[in-house]
Amino acid sequence: MRLLRCCLPVLALLPLGALATPVAELFNARLKSVVAVEFFIQAETERQPVMVLGSVIDDNGTVILPGAAILPGVAPSQLKDFKVYRPGSTESAPAVYLGQDAFTGWHFVRIDEKARAGLVPVTRWTVAQAEPAMGEELWGIGLRNKDEDFQPYFLSSRVAVTMKLPQKTVILGSDVASPGLPVFNAAGELAGLAQTSFGQNFLLFSRNQRGNPVVLVNVEESSVVLLAAEVLPYLGRIPQSVSGRPIAWFGAYGLQPMDPEVAKLLKLENQSGVVVSDIMKSSPADQAGLQERDIILAIDGQPLPRLKPDRVVVSYFGQEILRRLPGDVVTLAVLRGTTRVEVKLKLGDEPKLVREADRHYFERLGFTAREFLYNDGILHRANPGTTEGVMVHFVKPGTAVATAGLRPDDWVREIDGTPVKTYASALEKLAAIEADKARAEFVLLVSRGGETQVLRVKLN
Amino acid sequence: MSRGFNRLLDAVVRIDVREIEFTDGAKRITGGVGSGVIISSDGLVLTNAHVVSPQAVEVSITLASLERVNAKLVGWDHWTDLALLRIDLDAVKRRNLSFTAAEFGDSDDLFVGQTVYAVGTPHGLTRTVTRGIISNNDRYFEDSRGVNGYETGAFNTWLQTDAAINPGNSGGPLVTEDGKVIGINSRGYIGADNLGFAIPARVARSVAATLVKSGAVTRSYAGIGFRELQDLERFYSLSANTGVLVANVDVGSPAAKAGLRAGDVVLTLNGQKVDGRFPEQLPPIQQSIASLPVGATVKLGVKRGDRLVELGAVTEKLESRVGEEWAFEKWGLTVRKVSRAYARENQLTDETGVVVLGVQPGYPAAEAGLARGDIITKVGSKTIAELAQLKALYAAYEAKPEPQLVEAQRSRRISLYVIKP
Repeated sequence: MRLLRCCLPVLALLPLGALATPVAELFNARLKSVVAVEFFIQAETERQPVMVLGSVIDDNGTVILPGAAILPGVAPSQLKDFKVYRPGSTESAPAVYLGQDAFTGWHFVRIDEKARAGLVPVTRWTVAQAEPAMGEELWGIGLRNKDEDFQPYFLSSRVAVTMKLPQKTVILGSDVASPGLPVFNAAGELAGLAQTSFGQNFLLFSRNQRGNPVVLVNVEESSVVLLAAEVLPYLGRIPQSVSGRPIAWFGAYGLQPMDPEVAKLLKLENQSGVVVSDIMKSSPADQAGLQERDIILAIDGQPLPRLKPDRVVVSYFGQEILRRLPGDVVTLAVLRGTTRVEVKLKLGDEPKLVREADRHYFERLGFTAREFLYNDGILHRANPGTTEGVMVHFVKPGTAVATAGLRPDDWVREIDGTPVKTYASALEKLAAIEADKARAEFVLLVSRGGETQVLRVKLN
Repeated sequence: MSRGFNRLLDAVVRIDVREIEFTDGAKRITGGVGSGVIISSDGLVLTNAHVVSPQAVEVSITLASLERVNAKLVGWDHWTDLALLRIDLDAVKRRNLSFTAAEFGDSDDLFVGQTVYAVGTPHGLTRTVTRGIISNNDRYFEDSRGVNGYETGAFNTWLQTDAAINPGNSGGPLVTEDGKVIGINSRGYIGADNLGFAIPARVARSVAATLVKSGAVTRSYAGIGFRELQDLERFYSLSANTGVLVANVDVGSPAAKAGLRAGDVVLTLNGQKVDGRFPEQLPPIQQSIASLPVGATVKLGVKRGDRLVELGAVTEKLESRVGEEWAFEKWGLTVRKVSRAYARENQLTDETGVVVLGVQPGYPAAEAGLARGDIITKVGSKTIAELAQLKALYAAYEAKPEPQLVEAQRSRRISLYVIKP
C-alpha cells in the first residue's frame, strides 16, 4: 500500500511529453546499475541477516554499500555468505567482501564473475554537468524487500537545498531513492548517490501520550543525495585488503566545533576551528607538539570553513586527514591561548581497530576475549602503551560468567590472581580453565569505569 | 500502653522544612515534612540528614502539644543519615511551652522478632504509630547517593523492621514497647512492602554527641573498596573467618600510594584480625578505618597470592562526592564544585571545575549551549579551581556585563561557549 501511496501522486506530477526519452525507459535502463546485497554477521551464538542496497561502480562487478551497513566493531571474518540479487529477481549470485574505505566509509563488494553479465556501472551514465538547481526534479530507484523480490519502484522529488556537510549534498523535498542507490535528473544523467536518510522530528500522539517528540529515520528511502562530483572521484578507493588500510592517523581525541559566537569572541571572522580535547600519548599529534585546548584553524594553509551546522567542521577536518596517507606531512595553523603557532605533523598509521583485533570465543565459559588495543587504553584512561589485560568482547547471557557479573567491555586484568601480561597468555590460561572439566571456579579481576571488581565464576 | 510509651509520644515532633535547591539553573525554595525525636531537656532533636540539610533555610517543629516553634541545625552527617537540631529555647521560654525528652534503649540488645513501634509523620499524618517487629538487626545497606545524592550507609549496619515506614516517617524514632528509642527511622525500599530501615540507637547516640560538640563527624579515608570474601576463602587459601577482599583501590588514594592492589586480601588492620566473609561485616571494618584520626597510619596485613605483605597507608579526610552548590541567577546557571570523590568517580584528571547542575531555558548559560553535566573548567583566561573564583567572575559580570568565553568538558571533550548578557 505504501508503494502505491508514494508513487501515484509522483507520477501525476511528471510533465507529460517534457522528456526526450520516456521515464520508464530511462528507469529500466538504470536498474542495471543497482543490486540488493544480502549477508550474515556471524556472532558467537547467533547469525544476524543483513540486507542492503548497493550501486555497481565498474565492469569488475564492484558494488559500493553505505557505510552504515556494517557496525564498526564487526570483524571482516564475521561477514558471511554475501549474495547479490538483481531488482525483481529471486536468483542470487555469490559475492565477496573487499573491505571498507576509511575516507568515504563505503563498503566494497565484488560480484562473482559469472553473474556480472548485464550489469551497467553507474559511471556509464552521462554525469549531470551542472549542480541541480533549487526546485529541479530528480528521480531515483527504490527497491522493495526480499519477500517482494526486490521489486523496483520509481521515486522523485524536487531539490530543496544544497548544503556542504562537508561534501556537497542535495536535500530534496521528499524521498528520492533507497539509500545507496543512484539518483538522476530528468534527462537521465547521474546526479548523485542517495545517502542514509536524516532523522526527522515528529510529535507522537497516542492514547497515553500527548505530543511526545520523537525522531524518525526512514531506512528504506532517503531524501539526501551526495552529488556525483563528490562520488565519482572516490570510486577508485577500492580497499587493497579487507582491513581497509592504509588509514592515516592524527592522534587527537574529542575534536569539538565552535559556534559563531565563540569565533567572533576569538576574532576569527568568517572561519571556524576545532578545539582539541585530548592528545593521545606518543601519537603523531603528540609527537608534533600539539596540545590540549589548541584550536586548529587551518590545514595546509586552507582555513577551516564555517559550515552549518557547527559540528560539520569536525567531519571536514576528519576527512582532510583521512584523504591523506600515513607518512604525509600536514601543516596546521593553531591558536594556542592567544598566540598563533604552526604545527608540522607527520601522519601515522591508525592503531589496530576493534574489527582487526584477535578474539577468541570460549564456548563453555560463555565469553569472548579480545586483545587489548591502543584505543582501549584511551577509553580506560590507562597509561600510554599499556598492553596488559584482555577485553571482554561478548558475554553469553545466562552463563556462569554472566551470573558472576562479567560484562562486555570489561577489562580483565588478572585471571586466578595472576596478572594478564599478554593476550596469548590470557588465551592459554582461559583455554586451560575451559578444558578442565573438574574445575569448580575461577576468579577474574576486571576494571570497569576506573574501578576494579573481583568476580568469582562458579563453573558447573 | 506503658507510661514510658506515653512519654515517648510527647517527645516525637513533626518537622516542616524549607530548603534551597539548585537543580534547574535557579535557586528555588522547596518544602518537605519529616519527623524527629527530642533527645534532651535542652531541646536537641534528632532527625534524618535527608530531612534537614545545611541547605535548610527554615525549620519549624510541631511539638506534641501542637505548638509550633523554630529550630536550627546543629550538625549533619549524611553517612549515617542523621541531623541534629536545637529548638529555639528562647521562644519556648517566652511562650511558656513544654516538651519531653525521649530515652534511648540499647539497640545491641534487640532480638529478631522483637515488637517495635515506629512513630512519625508519614505523608504529613502527624503522630502516626505503626507496629512491627525487628526483621533483622544487622542489615548492610550502603548507597552512594542515598541521602539526596550524598553517600550513606558505609559505616554502620541498619535495623530492619516491618513496621510501616512511609515518606515522612523519616527522622522519627523506632521504639520498644516501653518507649525506649532504639533507632531512627530513615529509609524504606521503594516498591516493597514492609521493608523499613532505621539507624541503630548506638550509632545515633554517638553521632549526636559528636555533632553537639563539633557540628560534623570527621572521618578518615584510605580509599579501599572492601568486598565480602563469601566463599572465596578456599581460592585465597585462607583459614576460616579470616580476611576481607580488596575489590577496588581508588586511584591516587592513600591505599594506592601505600601499594595496596585490587585482589589483595586484608588479614589484619592495625594488628587486629579482620573477618569480612559477609556483607554485613563490612561496615565495622570500614568504620575501624573511618574512626581513626585523619593523618593516622593504617597498618594493613595483606595476603597477596602466596605472600604476606605489610603496608602502611596514611589516611586523608573523608570527603563527599557532593561539593558546594551555587546559583548564578543572571546566567540561569546552577553548579556544584567538583569534589575529589566526584573527580575520581568520573576519571577526571583533577578537582578543577564546577559541574553544571542545571540551566534555565532562555537564560545566557542555556543560550550559550551549556547543559547539565558539563564541567566548567575555565572562564576567560582563568582556570576555575575553586567555586569562589567563579563567584568573583560573576560579581564582575554583574557590575559590568560583557561576553564571557567559557571552557567546559563533557565526557572528556572540551568545548567553548560564550555567555552573553
